[in-house]
Amino acid sequence: MPRYELALIVKAMQRPDTAALLRRTVETLMERGAVVRGLENLGEKLLPYKISKHNERHTRGGYFLIDFHAAPGIVTGLLDHLERDIDVVRPTVLKNDPEPSHGPCCGSPVASKPQDTA
Amino acid sequence: MFGVIARSSPVIRLLAPRGAVLVEAVRGRKTRTDPKAKSKEGRIKTPPPVDPVEMVVLRERFTEYDLIMRALRLEFKEEMLRKRYEEEVGSLAEERAKQEAEEHRSLMTWNQEENRRMLKIRELRVQKEAEAAEVKKTEAAILREQAMENFVKEKGEEIMRIQEEAKSFINLENLDQRIQEALDNPKNYNFAIDKDGRVVKRTVLQ
Repeated sequence: MPRYELALIVKAMQRPDTAALLRRTVETLMERGAVVRGLENLGEKLLPYKISKHNERHTRGGYFLIDFHAAPGIVTGLLDHLERDIDVVRPTVLKNDPEPSHGPCCGSPVASKPQDTA
Repeated sequence: MFGVIARSSPVIRLLAPRGAVLVEAVRGRKTRTDPKAKSKEGRIKTPPPVDPVEMVVLRERFTEYDLIMRALRLEFKEEMLRKRYEEEVGSLAEERAKQEAEEHRSLMTWNQEENRRMLKIRELRVQKEAEAAEVKKTEAAILREQAMENFVKEKGEEIMRIQEEAKSFINLENLDQRIQEALDNPKNYNFAIDKDGRVVKRTVLQ
């Protein structure tokens, strides 16, 4: 199963609300058959720009990282679900696979020189 | 005119005597039914006068001449035919044929020898190539085996690693605990670095 990372920007809320949101997010993930590896908090920060979502203008937000293993088919469904959650400002799913180490490269090296366009 | 051969079939042309002239006998301007010209009405064509003595002499001489010529001709023809016969069925011809047969046989034997020699060389070469191919195949098989082994080992190690890490995954029991932990410890990945490579991890967390 490939490894994904959910970079979640949530509304600036009180601690219990945030905890509840995280809980339901992780439960959603587990329902869809994902294996959650870990959860990180990047703190509550000032957003780089004001974001309007669900009829609200957000200036601050909580940043969370959830990395998990899941089947690729659930990603769109998951994003759909998160978009509908009113406490979530911006959900983003990224791939997080480790790059395989290459052995000695076979074949001739391609001369990749940038051509000057007149 | 001397024997004129008119427009006739090719057979008659072939059987024509030697002195005949192949000329088209054409009537000229007038047809058969046209009246004769006034100046030619009473003309009687007479052959040129012949002197009988002269004629006799000439005829004798001519027959003699003819005889001699014919004899010579036949002689020459006979000579030519004999030469040709000698060529084809003479004693020399037999010897020549024998020599040619000999040559042919020797060449054939030489050719067979060459073929045999080439066969041997080719056999050796083919054998060597087969052996080389075998060796290459076994080597390739060994390499493949090793690669497979490496792969399996790697995957095994990966499995062990993941199994170890699985102990730290989140499940329903430690979900709450993990959430509280995460909320208590905000992580900060920002850092500053300068051209000398000095890293500064302490930044302002807004």
